[in-house]
Amino acid sequence: MDESSSNLPTSHLLGSVPAVVSEGKAATNQEDGDAQQSTNNWKGVFSISSYTQYFNIDTDILLSRLISSLYPISGDFFSKIDANPDLYGLVWISTTLVFVIASLGNCATYLMHRRSDHGTSWTFDVSYINVAACSIYGYSLIVPLAYYFLLRYLGSNASLIRFWCLWGYSLFIFILSSFLLVIPVEFLRWTIILLSGGLSASFVALNLRSYIQESEITVVVISAFVLQMGLAIFIKMWFFA
Amino acid sequence: MSHSDTIPLHSTSQSDIDEIENLINSNPSSVLPARPPSPPRASIPISSAPIPPPAFIPSNLPAPTNPKTAPVPSVSSAAPKPPLPPRPSGPGGNISASGFGSPPNTLTEPVWDTVKRDLSRIVSNLKLVVFPNPFREDPGKALRDWDLWGPFFFIVFLGLTLSWSASVKKSEVFAVAFALLAAGAVILTLNVLLLGGHIIFFQSLSLLGYCLFPLDIGALICMLKDNVLVKVVVVAVTLAWSSWAAYPFMSSAVNPRRKALALYPVLLMYVSVGFLIIAID
Repeated sequence: MDESSSNLPTSHLLGSVPAVVSEGKAATNQEDGDAQQSTNNWKGVFSISSYTQYFNIDTDILLSRLISSLYPISGDFFSKIDANPDLYGLVWISTTLVFVIASLGNCATYLMHRRSDHGTSWTFDVSYINVAACSIYGYSLIVPLAYYFLLRYLGSNASLIRFWCLWGYSLFIFILSSFLLVIPVEFLRWTIILLSGGLSASFVALNLRSYIQESEITVVVISAFVLQMGLAIFIKMWFFA
Repeated sequence: MSHSDTIPLHSTSQSDIDEIENLINSNPSSVLPARPPSPPRASIPISSAPIPPPAFIPSNLPAPTNPKTAPVPSVSSAAPKPPLPPRPSGPGGNISASGFGSPPNTLTEPVWDTVKRDLSRIVSNLKLVVFPNPFREDPGKALRDWDLWGPFFFIVFLGLTLSWSASVKKSEVFAVAFALLAAGAVILTLNVLLLGGHIIFFQSLSLLGYCLFPLDIGALICMLKDNVLVKVVVVAVTLAWSSWAAYPFMSSAVNPRRKALALYPVLLMYVSVGFLIIAID
């Protein structure tokens, strides 16, 4: 990995931002050496190299994590991500979900409009993008944060990055089901959203339960399940009504 | 005294020389007040005397007043000269070259020269990035002379076109398009940097802005022609063109095992912009 990245034609360019380039190289060199330890290369809030440790992921690993998010029963997600939790999944899955539900929601209203043949013409509703961005980003950032603080308060050893990773990957199934939600049959839409919501919520709940070993957190697990189902129903009712 | 100098002096050295000469001539009480402060244009007066100064009546006083009056017409005739380069002949050219003691200053050139230089740079960068050319595979050469004017124009043009095409909520459409493109370019660059890639921040912003040019053309065509099928075809073609333009730069900046991770967000941004273009009517 180092050989190929140092042979890139851009690595010798003049005028590059020297701090970023050299620190990026230093961080990746350090990562290779300390791959098994939990490294903490925190160089400050405003230095990019302190965040590269959370994006240390390859395409094939990412794809395997995405596939495993579709199978909630195994419950071993945390063991898969334990050595290398990544935030790439959280950022780009939630961004993709925002775009997909905003655009497909507009498609769905267009198709319903065509079917019922209203007098007024259909217009693209730009506010879908705003609502989608606020709700999805808010949910995926704040809910894991809340659970982190709650579980820390209850005394168990929670890790914020792993929670963000879990909730990020749990949103992947909504992207797939959004494509199916365009079909303008109401009964089918409710079936699809309840199914995908159930899968996603059980993914979150089962993995959370296997991560935390104590018994008094059953309420926590149930509430995580309910919240994820609530998100699914909100998506259906706001965007695909 | 120092008026017959042909070597261009620095603007501050002329007054220093005058002061030293005054001290050498040892008549400080009378000379210093008579000397007007600093102008380096004191080197020109004799040669520009034939040109009538705009608001000064030439006196017919004898020679002793010449050293005193001569700098004044040079000041008044030199002052309008720099903004009016077509007007003077030799002396005027000497003023801008020698009076300030440096090559033609970009602060004093006409506005049209500056705009023309920036426009030609935008066009040459566009040709390098968006159209096929032999330097494309080497991203270092491809955009060595990056600038941010081109991307700014393209983003604003796309926002305006989408806003014109929209029938309701025009300002919200412009805001969404502008925020999406501007923040998107920054986030895509940060994404590559976070994945451990090697790019220059502003060069990447510049490149992503220039790759919007095909989508600009597509948006313009879609604004003029309102058929849904035509729109889909045009947007698909321009989307493919934009992605093809951005591909070599982004893929060579990261580790080959992470190429898809760096390219997917670029594709996502262009697809979302393309969708906005199709859907706005």
